[in-house]
Amino acid sequence: MSVAGTIRRNRLRLGVLVVALVAALAVAVWRDVALTALLTTGFVERSIRAATPIALAAIGGLYAEKSGVFNIGLEGFMIFGAVNAVAVTWLVSGGTAGTVTQTDLWIGLVGAVVLSVLYTVVFAIILLRYEASQIVAGLAVWILGLGFGPFTAVVIWGSQSSPRVGRIDAVSVPGLAEIPFLGDVFFDTSPLVVLTLLLVAAAWVFLYRTRYGYWLQAAGENPEALDTAGVNVSRVRYAAVIFSGAMAGLGGAVLSVGLSSGFVGGGLTMVDGRGWIGIVAYLFGNYNPVGAFGAALLFGAADMFQIQLQTINVDVPATLTGLLPYVVVIIVLAAYGRTRMPARVGEPYESEN
Amino acid sequence: MAGPDSRETVVRLDGITKRFGSVVANDGIDFELDDGTVHALVGENGSGKTTLMSVLYGLYDQDEGRIVVDGEPRTFDSPRDAIDAGIGMIHQHFQLVEPMTVLQNSILGHEPTTYGMVDEERARADIEAICSRYDFDVDEHLDTPVRDLDLGVQQRVEIVKSLYRGAEVLVLDEPTAVLTPQEVDRLFDLMGELRDQGTSLIFITHKLEEAMEIADRISVLRDGEKVGTIAAADATRERLAEMMVGREVLFDDEQRATETGEVVLEVDGLRVSDDRGLERVSGVDFDLRRGEIFGIAGVEGNGQAQLVQAVTGRRDVDDGRIRFQGEDMTDISRRDAIEAGIAYIPQDRLEDGLVLEDDLVRNALLGFQTLAPFVGEWFIDWDGVRDHADRIIDEYDVKPPDRTRLARSLSGGNQQKFVVGRELSHDPDLLVASHPTRGVDIGSIEFIHSQLLDMRDDGLPIVLVSSKLEEIQNLADRIAVMYEGEFVDTVRPDDVTEQDLGLLMTGHREAAGETPPAARDGGDLS
Amino acid sequence: MSRQGTVRSALDRAADRMLTAGVVERLGIGIASVVLAFVVGLCIVAAAGYSPLIFLNEMLLGALGSQRGIALTLRESSLYILTGVAVAVAFRAGIFNIGVQGQFIVGGLSATMAILRLAPFLPTGAVGGVALIVLGSLVGIAVGGAYAALPGALKAYADANEIITTIMLNFIALGVVLYLISGPFQGEGRQEPRTDSLPEYVEFPSLLFETGSFSVVGLVVALASVAVAYVLLTRTRMGYDMVTSGKQASAALYSGVRAERTIIGTMTFSGMVAGLTGAVFSIMVLGGYVDPQGIHTYGFDAIAVSLLAANNPLGVVPAGVLFGGLSRGGSFIGITTDIPAQLVDGVIGLVILFVAAPELFRMAARRTGLGSERR
Repeated sequence: MSVAGTIRRNRLRLGVLVVALVAALAVAVWRDVALTALLTTGFVERSIRAATPIALAAIGGLYAEKSGVFNIGLEGFMIFGAVNAVAVTWLVSGGTAGTVTQTDLWIGLVGAVVLSVLYTVVFAIILLRYEASQIVAGLAVWILGLGFGPFTAVVIWGSQSSPRVGRIDAVSVPGLAEIPFLGDVFFDTSPLVVLTLLLVAAAWVFLYRTRYGYWLQAAGENPEALDTAGVNVSRVRYAAVIFSGAMAGLGGAVLSVGLSSGFVGGGLTMVDGRGWIGIVAYLFGNYNPVGAFGAALLFGAADMFQIQLQTINVDVPATLTGLLPYVVVIIVLAAYGRTRMPARVGEPYESEN
Repeated sequence: MAGPDSRETVVRLDGITKRFGSVVANDGIDFELDDGTVHALVGENGSGKTTLMSVLYGLYDQDEGRIVVDGEPRTFDSPRDAIDAGIGMIHQHFQLVEPMTVLQNSILGHEPTTYGMVDEERARADIEAICSRYDFDVDEHLDTPVRDLDLGVQQRVEIVKSLYRGAEVLVLDEPTAVLTPQEVDRLFDLMGELRDQGTSLIFITHKLEEAMEIADRISVLRDGEKVGTIAAADATRERLAEMMVGREVLFDDEQRATETGEVVLEVDGLRVSDDRGLERVSGVDFDLRRGEIFGIAGVEGNGQAQLVQAVTGRRDVDDGRIRFQGEDMTDISRRDAIEAGIAYIPQDRLEDGLVLEDDLVRNALLGFQTLAPFVGEWFIDWDGVRDHADRIIDEYDVKPPDRTRLARSLSGGNQQKFVVGRELSHDPDLLVASHPTRGVDIGSIEFIHSQLLDMRDDGLPIVLVSSKLEEIQNLADRIAVMYEGEFVDTVRPDDVTEQDLGLLMTGHREAAGETPPAARDGGDLS
Repeated sequence: MSRQGTVRSALDRAADRMLTAGVVERLGIGIASVVLAFVVGLCIVAAAGYSPLIFLNEMLLGALGSQRGIALTLRESSLYILTGVAVAVAFRAGIFNIGVQGQFIVGGLSATMAILRLAPFLPTGAVGGVALIVLGSLVGIAVGGAYAALPGALKAYADANEIITTIMLNFIALGVVLYLISGPFQGEGRQEPRTDSLPEYVEFPSLLFETGSFSVVGLVVALASVAVAYVLLTRTRMGYDMVTSGKQASAALYSGVRAERTIIGTMTFSGMVAGLTGAVFSIMVLGGYVDPQGIHTYGFDAIAVSLLAANNPLGVVPAGVLFGGLSRGGSFIGITTDIPAQLVDGVIGLVILFVAAPELFRMAARRTGLGSERR
């Protein structure tokens, strides 16, 4: 892939990014503040952190969709991941806030992923074996999350939200953390950020360089071709859907025990649309894991922009600046709605036997 | 060539029976393929050819009978087992992943790997070796996405794919259906080359001449049963046709239009683009008179679909002009076109022409939901529509005659008769018929053809697009041949042969001999 | 060519599978979904250490055990029928308007503010009350419709997926309404995010029931919207275009339907019904406007109502009544027992999940020998 070619193919996406930058610049000029006060190292770091849950869900979602199955239940699986991570942490720590250790938090994170896998197995069977409407079933997962997420919290803690349980500590790599900018962003940060970056890279290699990645793509574009090549299409799709649920669950867990310190179940829960934004992230990233991460970064930056505005004393109510990610999502979809989906997404496939 | 008798049998099917519910698709069929020969399997659509081969390829489980390969009985639970036994199948609808490259498609499911990564270099070397052995051109396109190739090359990719998997027996299902006569010749050369180097081939077709030209032996299926097997040398067209249809078949020509009236449709310098913004119709001019059938021939994907859509108001025009009955209709909507009396039999009745999940009553209104007498300013007169549906069913012999049936439950032929009936029932001033007999049984084809000719004789002007040369030659009064968005030539059907049309379809205005430039593909209606 | 072939074979398989979903079968699937969702819900209740029997008993008692309970059930039913119609109209046309909640909220606030701002110019008393209710409802309808037309236009002209845009607009509605009622529209002397209360004479008359937050008028409005939607979809040209687009978009285009216009029209109509629901809710129940985070998610639950009704406006009536009872029973157990009321939301999610997979019940029916043998 040549650089020029990549730029040409992604003209529209780059255009949206340029417009976003120009808008930021315009705000800076209009409010007469130095651009450097807006684009700080802290902003980049915060944006990447905010991007991680979105990116994890996005990679899961794009795998499912590449294989030919919409998993629009990402938001719901994130809610389950978020509440389960805290619940598992709570239970292994013995049920008090004061005794939660780092190990407990990690066990909570892993436990949440394991539970997500179990949920997604059921979901995948309903989608693939019973050929459920993928859109409706995905919506159902969201509604289920909105109900059973807070339900779990009430059962365990007597309230829709958990108490503070702490979060997974940042890790500072001695030496490397001293590098200006890069050190702050990559070597003095949550290990979950690093994990996410590694998963993005691994997802890219797997998809474009291994035979299983080829099969995944073929399953979504022309399942008959894969079937007649002697590969079991439904096995590929099951694997992809289950992976997508695990990733969304991980994203939710990262949100509750990695970035925050507990579960918040009020309103539409602490996940607050990040799963839906994850879907847009992979659409905008053109089903490429690296592109999806880039798009997640854009949405993470939109989320954290309100802090930048506060630091330069721009007085816009937080209730409104907090809506920026949702507005950006709509703008992105409007400017870049016409994505080329895998040809056979959403169609059930039955081998004739 | 050695006589067929002295050769070993590589594949033997004994008494294969396959049922779908109450329908018996294959009824106790025996079949033998000898080593290094071409065995043609002929029969009408629905006679069970593809089902039989799908059983052989492990796509279907047979209900009775057995498969013997190289003398050993085998059971194939999936294509993987068939592939492992050295059997390859080239499906009528290519099993290629369009955005992936030729190389990736060729090795799909059998990718060589190094350290867990796909080793494309090793695969490349293997495929280049196959191409040079059989003199294929596929290796020129290894890094091209399949969707950018024309159908002839795609078909050769399919063959290479099977050979890469080690196929010694190749099943080709209606491989000539999508090719021009010249590409068919090329395919036959290739099949001959494969046979000479020891590959055994099963060639499925419903075109008798083709079977006689390339095959060593010919088996005929009818209604799921085998009628017989004969040596190609002993076959005649009449004998095969009689075996295939079960009665004597007359090959006769239709009557041409005797007189034509005033000009109804004028198309001038028309330019139209597809959904991706590529220009697919590049300056087309023609006139159509009352009482005339104007045929448009061509390999699919050369802009016919976009031309038809422009004329019927379904697609915007970039440039040029369309005049209908003296009025400018260039920028009209589909709704305006319907209301102006332009009837349209679409290329794909399952996508466009019928709402499959609706009954025939609702389908009888499709396209006419703004027109009197069934619809007023706001409300629909469903009683009137019901009567109308009954009339169409009656006059166009739609079976079963039941307006409450869902459209999807009808056979292809009856669906198409319903569409034709609906479009003609509103007394149109122009009919645009795009592939009006595709996927339709012989009885319905005859019925639809006679309806079109009757309407023509009553003065209706008709634009007929078809990729079936026989249909175009029999029905049309004039034939325009479309290639890469332009009319290469407009001819009288009686002045040309199928070969001439084939040459024109690949862009040759006059002389043969040059290599035909690749036709562009990918222009279906979706 | 090949594309056409694959479509055809996919359709053939679908035909094989779908049988013909008749009314009886749909009814059976709806009932089975609700029952199965309840069974799973009860198992979860038991697993969480509560008594399923108490749960069921209190649900019934809350929903039907008293005149007040019945009134509240009918109040909830009216709101579910209205939002259910809003969803059903869009789903029937093949458009996934998941934004009914947001349209309902902006409609409700607009109606409230219109009434508050217009009240000084109109006489007090019954006449002024009726006039304000009508005007407020019209404003709510208009704003709800406009808020839905936006994602409709984005879908029609920019191919922006309406599922995601409408969900984003839900979040935006929540945020903007919260901002407005804690800032510009905050009631005089209030600390919490809340508008002024509506004048006392702006209320639906209490007929038959004493409970202040329910009036039969609300139910009548809901049933009237059912009738309008039913006639629209089955008898009119516009309805034919909408239903055909929903079933098979390519055939609709072939038949001369203008896709853009139909999409925007459908979304607008759906949003108008949602906006009307908002007006009814603020006039009949709230008497003002409050923090939307705390307002029940009628717009989401309505997805279940509509799907249960197979997106048929007539079916929305029984489905809405069922959900009204669930909702009222749910809030009742939240008060009288320690079983978390969120359980009911979870059960609603299960209903949607099961309705999405009719094949589940068809296979079960075949296996147990129930149902018609049509394969």
